[in-house]
Amino acid sequence: MRLHEKIREGMIFLFVAFWLSGCSPITENNLIEEISPITFLSISKADEGKLKVSTIFPPLSKEDKIVISHEVDLLKEGIQKYNFNFYQEVKSGQMRMLVISEELGQEGIMSIVNTLLTDPDISPRIYLVIMRGNFEEFLESQLDNAENFDYSFYRMLKHYEDRNQGELTVVNLHQFKNLLYTPYSDPFLPIYSIQGDGVNYEGTALFQNDKLVETISSIDDRIFQLINNNHYLAVLPIREFEIVLGHVRSKIDVNIDSSNSTIFFTVSIDSKIEEYRGEKQLFDPQELENLKADIETYLEQQTYEFLKKMQELKVDPLQLGIQTKRPFSKPMEEEEWIDMFEKMYMNVKYNVNIDPLTDANSRRPNF
Amino acid sequence: MFWKKRESHERRSEEKQSEDNLVTPSTMESELSMESLKKSLEQIDDAEFLEMNCSNNRIIHLVYIRTLIDQEKLNETIIDPLTNCSKASIQDCLVNSSTISIPVLKEAKSQLFSGCILLVDSSQNLWFAVPLKNPIGRAIETSETETILYGAKDSFTEQIEENITLIRRRLPIQELKTEKFSLGTMSKTNVVLMYIDGVTNPDFVTTIKEKISEINFDLFLDSSQVAAFLEKHQNSIFPQFQQTDRPDVVTYSLGLGKITLLIDNTPFALVAPITFFHLFQSPEDYINRWVVASFLRLMRYVCFILSVTLIPFYVALTTHHYQMIPIQTLLILVDSRSQLPFTPFWEAFIMLIFIEILKEASLRMPTKTGLTLGVIGGIVIGQAAVEAGFASNVLIVMVGISTVASFLIPNYLMTKANPLIQLILLILSSLFGLFGIILGSVAILAHLNSLSSIKQPYFSPVSPFYRKDWNDLFIRGPFFKMLERPEHLKPQKLKRYKTRR
Repeated sequence: MRLHEKIREGMIFLFVAFWLSGCSPITENNLIEEISPITFLSISKADEGKLKVSTIFPPLSKEDKIVISHEVDLLKEGIQKYNFNFYQEVKSGQMRMLVISEELGQEGIMSIVNTLLTDPDISPRIYLVIMRGNFEEFLESQLDNAENFDYSFYRMLKHYEDRNQGELTVVNLHQFKNLLYTPYSDPFLPIYSIQGDGVNYEGTALFQNDKLVETISSIDDRIFQLINNNHYLAVLPIREFEIVLGHVRSKIDVNIDSSNSTIFFTVSIDSKIEEYRGEKQLFDPQELENLKADIETYLEQQTYEFLKKMQELKVDPLQLGIQTKRPFSKPMEEEEWIDMFEKMYMNVKYNVNIDPLTDANSRRPNF
Repeated sequence: MFWKKRESHERRSEEKQSEDNLVTPSTMESELSMESLKKSLEQIDDAEFLEMNCSNNRIIHLVYIRTLIDQEKLNETIIDPLTNCSKASIQDCLVNSSTISIPVLKEAKSQLFSGCILLVDSSQNLWFAVPLKNPIGRAIETSETETILYGAKDSFTEQIEENITLIRRRLPIQELKTEKFSLGTMSKTNVVLMYIDGVTNPDFVTTIKEKISEINFDLFLDSSQVAAFLEKHQNSIFPQFQQTDRPDVVTYSLGLGKITLLIDNTPFALVAPITFFHLFQSPEDYINRWVVASFLRLMRYVCFILSVTLIPFYVALTTHHYQMIPIQTLLILVDSRSQLPFTPFWEAFIMLIFIEILKEASLRMPTKTGLTLGVIGGIVIGQAAVEAGFASNVLIVMVGISTVASFLIPNYLMTKANPLIQLILLILSSLFGLFGIILGSVAILAHLNSLSSIKQPYFSPVSPFYRKDWNDLFIRGPFFKMLERPEHLKPQKLKRYKTRR
């Protein structure tokens, strides 16, 4: 082989090798014993439009921990400031959670989301969480606990995300970004509150664009999980009828009539009775039918009120606007849809199917 | 400085002369006579000259090298018949053994040193040689380098004739050809080229014959030295000839259309052409059930990749890509690495070198000492290194896994080459992270693709691609699916079954 052919081959080889590496010929030196990869950041509102950024140091090793907070104008400035008063370089490549205070959420979190999205180090899989109450103080109080609070909190979110457990809302940055930037949709995030020694799942925070406008909790949150988020609930307690439905799976059918005046919202539910403390004889098919009808009416009423609330707030986390899309026609503007959505009539229908778990033809007395 | 040059020139000419002496005797000595033979056997203690009076008062001279011949048989087959024989010619007296007539002194000496007895009838000046080789040698034993549980237990010995017997018994056909060559100006090693006429591609035979004729060297003590002269890519760490001491492996390879070289005085035969994938095939693959064999073969490939990349991955992740480590693992890693004096690269490097020292030492030691070495090495490398703070326990686990995984490769030459690949990848990974590992892998693949074994591509049937041969590549397909010989060996006869009944 002639020399220039060898050189040409070498150049092609190097080019391919560099290209495979994602255009980065020299990687950063990130010796794990010399860096501090933070696992979460808590951002809250400070005075004069500033941000207060806090996290726990050192994030991973089993040394004595401290909470460090900085008041800064920009998020990245906060991360950089940590380097000035901590002996290890702070890295954000292992960030798993971003805790945003409720007040900041109400003001809008577009800039924060954009900052995180543009940082190639930060994974789009980080969880976004809204926190009610003073999180920094809470963190301080948790420092002496043996188990790392941040790690257990992360494990909890990961658990409910992975297996679609049908209990809590879990939203990551990627999903939030999609809901934020897709037409006909508004994002939502889980909201937690600090109560005494622990954090409590409150419900789901609904956003209008990037601003938090409403928090839904208890039965509203359950219905939201059922009709939008998970389409599954492990348990659905209904206090009015002293009944707990278990393994509730739902199928949603949404239709908008041709005149765009009514939304037909049909929910079919499959479930079984997990617990019953009421008076009805459930072995009697008639009584069971009555109970079903009662549950249907109750759920229809609750869902109607929930949808009505969304209409009033002009938020659409259920992405109902997609139903207005028709083949061969130009899609509606988002503003137009919101205006229309506000005035629409809601027709909610539930079909509940209950497996009694026991033989309904049996003559035995109830329990 | 011309006198120096001249001096070296003189020395060279002297050397040439002595070399000539070694190979061909000068014209003075080429005359076939007892005196010249005696002169050339001076200072050889085990050269014996006997004079024998035969029945009809003839004197017959016997010349032999004592250590090379079977002395018990000497009486039986030569001395007894000659004393009691009244016939005129020696050949007629020695009816039970073959006689070779010798025309020149050179031939006489070469027969003498290959274990023959020279018989000289000085009255008629007739020279004969009777082969009476000393049969000293090892018995046929079980192979130690390629052990299997089921299947044939015999293995080659140092006697080339016995080795040919072992193969011929398995292939009793006239198409099995054995061509003999002699290699080495000093060692005069017998080399036998075996192939099946009508199956093996004749190109292989011509290539290997050409290569053998080009060899010019003095000593050949092992088949790997012969292989070194036959291989095209001397600097590669990948062997281009398969070395095996199992007759069944050789027979199977011959049947597929490969050639085999048997070398005298070594139990290891050379098989060619081979590919990279042959290094991962064990004789047991063809004994186990095909599903099991396929699983085991896949395991070997996985373990090879694992043994080569596991520690480089550890170094790349802990030095450059902390983002990629799962947070659970990172917690453990940070904890175990926080007090260490070395960076991950030096930590891994020292551990790998130490493992190599241990491996090498345990080979050299007698079995009983080897056990102690293993225990001490295990403790030093495991517990003590962690407690003393020289290595993290995560790395110890990985070193253990990758070392054990490297032993799964059936080819011992490849097992020995493994740490080298590992070290190259280790250095690249510490410099460039994952990118370095990719760079190294690309380089290794490119290198493998450029290799050849007796002019056949080393990376086939992957590249060049032969779809049908994949049946016996990463998996070992069922035999009823392997009705054709591998296409990449370009055999003259592709089908392995009778087409006419």
